[in-house]
Amino acid sequence: MLESATHVGLQTTNGPLSIDQFGAESARLGREIADEYHRYHIETEEVDDADPLPHRFLVKVGKVGLAKLIAKEMVTYFPQFDVILSRPCTYGVFSGPVGGFAPRPKLCVGCLRCEVQHPDFVKVLPNPDLLALGDSYTTHGHIAAIDEEAKKGMVPVRGQGYRGRFGGPGFDGMLTDMSEIVRPSRDGIHGRELIGTEVDIGSKPMHLSFDSNGKLSGSIPEMFTIQVPFIFDLPPGNLGSPQLARVVDSTSSRIDTLACLDSHTVARLGLDAPNIVPVLDNTEASRASEFPNARLIELRSSPGRSWGWDAAGFEIANEATDAMIGIRIHFEEGWQDRLSQAVESGVKVIHLLADLHGRGSDGTFVTELFKEAHMLLIEQGRRDAVTLFGGGGIVGADHVPKAIISGLDAVALDLPVLFALQGRSNGSLRHRENVAGTLPRHLDLDWAEQRLANLCGSWRDQLLEILGAMGIREVRRLRGEFGRSMVVKHLEDEAFEGIVGYVGGDC
Amino acid sequence: MAIIQGITDTLSGKIVKPSETLVHKTTHLMQDGMKARAFGEYEKPEALGDARWTDELILSTWYMADTGEVPDNLNFKTGKSDGGFDRLDFQFLPESDWLEHSEAIDTKLPLNRRGDKKNKIEIDIPWYGGGMSYGSVSVNVMMSRAKNAKQWNSFMSTGEGGYPPELYEVKENVITQVATGYFGVEEETIQAAPIIEFKYAQGAKPGLGGHLLAAKAGEEVAKLRGSVPFVSLFSPFPFHSTYSVEDHSKHLDWIETVNPKAILSVKVSTPHDVDMVAVGSYYAGAHIIHLDGGYGGTGAAPEIAKKNIAMPIELAIPKVHKFLQKEGVRDKVTIIASGGVRTADDIAKAIALGADGCVLGTTDLVGMGCTRCSNCEGGPSGRGCPWGLTTTDIELQEWVQQDWGAKRLNNLYTAMQWRLRDILRKLGLSNVRELRGRTDLLRYIGKEADE
Repeated sequence: MLESATHVGLQTTNGPLSIDQFGAESARLGREIADEYHRYHIETEEVDDADPLPHRFLVKVGKVGLAKLIAKEMVTYFPQFDVILSRPCTYGVFSGPVGGFAPRPKLCVGCLRCEVQHPDFVKVLPNPDLLALGDSYTTHGHIAAIDEEAKKGMVPVRGQGYRGRFGGPGFDGMLTDMSEIVRPSRDGIHGRELIGTEVDIGSKPMHLSFDSNGKLSGSIPEMFTIQVPFIFDLPPGNLGSPQLARVVDSTSSRIDTLACLDSHTVARLGLDAPNIVPVLDNTEASRASEFPNARLIELRSSPGRSWGWDAAGFEIANEATDAMIGIRIHFEEGWQDRLSQAVESGVKVIHLLADLHGRGSDGTFVTELFKEAHMLLIEQGRRDAVTLFGGGGIVGADHVPKAIISGLDAVALDLPVLFALQGRSNGSLRHRENVAGTLPRHLDLDWAEQRLANLCGSWRDQLLEILGAMGIREVRRLRGEFGRSMVVKHLEDEAFEGIVGYVGGDC
Repeated sequence: MAIIQGITDTLSGKIVKPSETLVHKTTHLMQDGMKARAFGEYEKPEALGDARWTDELILSTWYMADTGEVPDNLNFKTGKSDGGFDRLDFQFLPESDWLEHSEAIDTKLPLNRRGDKKNKIEIDIPWYGGGMSYGSVSVNVMMSRAKNAKQWNSFMSTGEGGYPPELYEVKENVITQVATGYFGVEEETIQAAPIIEFKYAQGAKPGLGGHLLAAKAGEEVAKLRGSVPFVSLFSPFPFHSTYSVEDHSKHLDWIETVNPKAILSVKVSTPHDVDMVAVGSYYAGAHIIHLDGGYGGTGAAPEIAKKNIAMPIELAIPKVHKFLQKEGVRDKVTIIASGGVRTADDIAKAIALGADGCVLGTTDLVGMGCTRCSNCEGGPSGRGCPWGLTTTDIELQEWVQQDWGAKRLNNLYTAMQWRLRDILRKLGLSNVRELRGRTDLLRYIGKEADE
């Protein structure tokens, strides 16, 4: 008998293992353990378009000019058909059945070689239909990026340098830092070393207390963990629909995050589940008991009410359920007091909301607002007792780390869901309640889930790029790390101070 | 049979080395087209340009590369990025105080200021060519740049992709780059170079290392890099042998052992503490601190990195310049700036902000036809640049002929030197070195001023 084999439970129905069997059985167990090993990863897979965006360029070819060119080249180069048939496009715009007589603009990447080579009869134009998408904040550039990310699930990589403006307003005015030499976590991006993106939701005590028997005697952590620092928020405006609810439900379950949905939708569709956050009006707080599987339930101001903190609603909801109760607080006048009162009353999750241009009611941008909320809680010594979600203005992958640097634990995604699913918007996208949009008529659940998972995979990988460049191994450490960011305005003040005409970075 | 084969190959999209006639036809169409656009014979292409490289900046660069002169009707000075170089201008003297435009206005730049026994190198213009590896660009492009560097008594860096044998012809003007993947780094290539450049980071993808996509890592590329053909190649980040300034110093010692005369350049990107990094590099033995800003060029980089990680070069230069001054070592080290430096005006502004000189990359490519379509990494075709610049595709690379490329760059540099001298004389300076750190000669154009 092999004592060590018995010790680890390696026995067969015929008794303890022989030494010969031990090696094989150990190997089998090892394989089983390895099979159970799971490292968090979002499976991405390229999916087809349902309603493709307008392509980037229009290609116009003068038929007469083209015919003349062909005739001329036939005469000049005959019989060298490799020369006669050569085309000024490596992307296939002129490689259809009738070549340049019916160009294929969806293949055009805007290299302009055709237009430069044949200025008499070829023209490449930016597509106005693409440029018209979105609004002044959520631009066609954001929409096109989200569309690509949701289609491919990859980090967008391109050649040439940055093409946009110097710094800019909002999130563009913030840069993230990097570390020049010491970077053990860089390899995480290629999967060899872990960079964690999980976030704890709820409350952590500042310390643990034990009694004389070694058992926990004081406050214990009340929290659960999600795998990515972003959740799906309530669909803005007219976008809420049963199909969309099912999509965010299945996607949030698949990638292990949360989806906020109107409580009536949750009830009607039977979506009560740990990954779903039913959102209740304060006046309906007692309905919290209807969602026994929810880990988190959010309360919001009732329509027509002021943005007041409703202590009574919180108490009622808390009584009605064991789930955590979160409070949605809009950045309206007096939000700081409401935040303090809510936390004082024991609220463990605060969901902060700016408008969809990332502005509070006084025009302050969310990076400043999130920072103020974060600092307020630190000053009160309660930061770890509360989880801060925040939403409004998050429409690019870079906005996620920047919002977390500003003090959030996790960001809430609203419009990106619409554009990931190839929806279209009409008019301004600033005010949540006024957003008018349409989703593809036939929203196939599998297709939509994969699109959203692709977006999340891409954004998570881009977050890893940012964290890797900083040498940070888990996103929880990024929260409120203002020192990991640089504000263009401040850098300009430092660099251009004393130069004639310079009166401040935002001049 | 050859005719049928030609038809079959063309229609099937098979990629073959182009015939001389096809090269002749294509290059003439491209070159004539560039010229016609630059000379205003046709409207500006509506889809050309972006905020940093406007249509006029691209067309004016083509004009200069064609003529050797600055254009009258195109803005060849600034882009429309609404900040940085594009909001800085010079405070020129009254016209009566301008110096004569003359070749006597000195544009030379010494690169070794340490007073040691290593190479005493002085270049004729205060800029040289930045690293673009073989693989990211073709040998034709490398040789065009290197031949031009020779004409200007300046340099071109190999980038991290090995040292094609052709480069030995102009080795006195080639910088060997040592980067984190050590691709193509051999004793022979270190010994060949007057300057060795350690690339710690690249402005367009700071902290992320490099990545040559598999499609561009063909057999020739793989041979020079010592890799398997058509396998993606990563330059990791950071140097896995360097975790401290002491390690960095040992790195430089290694080069000194192999090539005792070579001067050492350390290329870093622009984090918040770039000033500390610079002073550390100086004390480790660097002769050149090469700062590569966040808006710099690249053959392939995550879009999120280009705009968001690290700071633009305009903001890093004064920070480093002032800190080195405070440390009392500013005059013992050369600061070279890159990453969004496009024009002679940008170079002069960078120097006025505190750099000694600059490195150009994208400007060279635009001079040879680049339209900044951003498909350098392969694009949907997987073949790389349709202009034949950032590609080693056996057909496309033929669109850039070495002598043509070198001539274009020579013309471009001639016009840029003229403009640099023009700026200096209007500031009353007879020497580009007198411009360094002269922020008093700059003015910031507020938004109110031009709206």
